[in-house]
Amino acid sequence: MSVVSVEDVSKTFGAGHTAVTAVDHVSLSVDAGDIVLVMGPSGSGKTTLLSMIGTLMSPTTGRILISGQDTSTLKAAQLSRLRLREFGFVFQTFNLLSALTAEENVMMPLITAGVPRKHARGKARVALEQLQLGHRLRNLPRDLSGGEKQRVAIARSLANDPRLILADEPTANLDAKTGQDVTLLLCETACRENRAVIIVSHDQRLRTAAKRVITIEDGRLTAEERGEHDRHCRMHPGAGSS
Amino acid sequence: MLFLAVKNLVQEKTRLLISVGGVAFSVLLIMSIQGLYQGWSNKIGEYIRTVPADYWITQTGATDMFHTPSVLPLTVRDFLTGVEGVASAKPFSGRRVAFAHNGKDINLYVIADDTENNVGAPARVVEGKAVPDKGEIIIDRVVGRSENIRIGDTIPVAGRTLKVSGYSEGGYILSFSFAFATKEDAESILQLPGATNFFLITVKDGTNANDVASRIEADPAVDAITKDMFVENNTNIVRDTFLPIILVLLLIGIAVGMTVIGLTIFTSTIEKAREYGVLKAIGVSNRQLYTVVVEQAVTAAVLGYLLGAGLALAVSAAAGNYVPEFITEIRWLDAAWIFAVTVTMAVVSSLLPVHRLARIDPAEVFRA
Repeated sequence: MSVVSVEDVSKTFGAGHTAVTAVDHVSLSVDAGDIVLVMGPSGSGKTTLLSMIGTLMSPTTGRILISGQDTSTLKAAQLSRLRLREFGFVFQTFNLLSALTAEENVMMPLITAGVPRKHARGKARVALEQLQLGHRLRNLPRDLSGGEKQRVAIARSLANDPRLILADEPTANLDAKTGQDVTLLLCETACRENRAVIIVSHDQRLRTAAKRVITIEDGRLTAEERGEHDRHCRMHPGAGSS
Repeated sequence: MLFLAVKNLVQEKTRLLISVGGVAFSVLLIMSIQGLYQGWSNKIGEYIRTVPADYWITQTGATDMFHTPSVLPLTVRDFLTGVEGVASAKPFSGRRVAFAHNGKDINLYVIADDTENNVGAPARVVEGKAVPDKGEIIIDRVVGRSENIRIGDTIPVAGRTLKVSGYSEGGYILSFSFAFATKEDAESILQLPGATNFFLITVKDGTNANDVASRIEADPAVDAITKDMFVENNTNIVRDTFLPIILVLLLIGIAVGMTVIGLTIFTSTIEKAREYGVLKAIGVSNRQLYTVVVEQAVTAAVLGYLLGAGLALAVSAAAGNYVPEFITEIRWLDAAWIFAVTVTMAVVSSLLPVHRLARIDPAEVFRA
C-alpha cells in the first residue's frame, strides 16, 4: 500500500471569472522509502500540492489517501491526529518555537502525542545527537545558525517516527553547502528508516538527494525522472563514486 | 502543555510583568476592600460580643444600637425579672455624642459603666484606669492617638467636661468609637431620666430561651433579640454602607484584571500566530492550543494573585500603623473566593485570544 496516493486532485481558489486553478488533475503515488523532489517555477502549485498532501488544505476535487485512508472523510481532530502520527514537516523558515530550546522543540510532537516528558526528553536528545547537535540541546533558536535550526527542524519532523516527511524549500534559507548537507542528512535518515519524503524546491542541486524528480507547471505534472539519490546517499554501496 | 505556556510567558518578560502587575493590582484592590469590610464588621461586633447577655431587649422596632433609637422606662425591669425563666435583667445605656476638638468633630458612643450591675465596662483597658470615676471618661486608644488626646486631658462631652482617665481597645468603629463614663455621668450626658436604652437578659439554666423570648414579647412595647442577631444587626450598618462600594470596586478590579490579561495574552497570541500555525500543522489539536492559551492566562493570574495577596497583607499590616481607621481582616475564605474570581477572570479573558487562535490557518506555515 502506498504511503500517499493522490488521485486526480485539483485545487481551485476563488470562483467564477476570478477562479485560479493552482493544482490541476494531479495523480501521484509515493511509497515507503521514496524520496520525491517536486520541482517547478514559482506559482506552479507545488506548495498547494504539498499542503493538500499534508492535510492542511482540502482538494476541490479528487481525493488523497494516506496509508489507504481517504483524508476527505476525516474531521479536523482526526486530521490533527493523522498529521501527528503519520507526518513530519520541515519548513523553509524552520519554524521552530522561539520560546523553546532545541531539545524542547523536538520534544513538542512527542508530548503532544502523549509521550511522558522524561521519555520524550531522552528521545529528543538521541535525535539531536544523531544530527550532531548534542552540544546545542539547551540553546534557543535565536542562538542557532540556519543549518543548526534546520537540523533541529529535521529532528522534530522525525520525532514521532512518521511514515512521511514533507519538506517545503528546506534549503531556501541556507547557504549552498549547508543546504545540500541538510538535505542529504534528511534523505539518508529517511532512506535508513524507510520513510517516504516529499520535497518541494526550486533548488536543482537537490536532485542529488531525490530518488524521483517530478516537475509541475501551471498546476499539472509535466514530467517525472529518476533522481541521483543512489549515487550520493551514503546508505547505498558505491555512493559518491561517480 | 503547561511547559509551553510557561515558556511563552517567561519569554516576554515585559508583557509578563504587565499582566502579573495588572492582576496584582486587581487582587490588591479587591482584597484590601474586602479586608476593610470584614475588619470594620468585626470591630462593630467585637464590643457587643463581650457584653454579657442572652437577649437584648429593645423598644419595639429598634434592632440595633445605631439606626433606630430605643428608649425603655426603667420600670420595664420589674416586668422582665417577673418573666418565667429570666435569671437577670440589667439596664444598658449608651448614645452617640459629638464634640469639637482642634477644629474637628469627634464622635463617641458613650456607654454607662454601671459597676453596680456589672454592665457597660470596656472590653479591654490598655492604659490608665480600668474604671472611670465621677467626671472621668475612658476613650479608645485609637482616638487618643489619632486626635492627640492624652490621659489627663479634658474633653467637652454634651455640655460637660470630662477628664480622660484611660484608654480602652477594640471599640473603634469607622466614624465613632465607644467611650465609657460612670453611670451618673452617663445619665447626665444621655439625658435619660428614669429610662435606659436596652435591657440585657440572661436566661436561667435549663430554660428554653425561645419560650422566654416569646413571653417577653407578649409585651407589645419590647422586642427580644438574641445576642447573635443583635451583633449581626449592628454589623449590617457596615454591610449596608459599604457593600455597594465594595461591589463597584470589585467590578473595577475585575475589569482591570480582565483587560490587562486579555490584552497581553491576545497580543502574545497574535505575535505567535505563526508558531501556533506550526503547532497546528504538526498535529497539535485546537483543544490543546486553547489549553496553552488558557494556561498562559491562568499562570499569569496565579502569579498576579500571589503578588497582589502579598501586597494586600503587607499594606494592611503597615497602613494600620499610620491610618488607625484602616482596620482589615483578611480571612482564608476571602482569600479563596478572590482566588476563584482571579482564575475565572483569567479563563474568561482568554476567550478572545482563543477565538483568534481558532482562525489561524495551519497552511499559512508554508508561506515564507
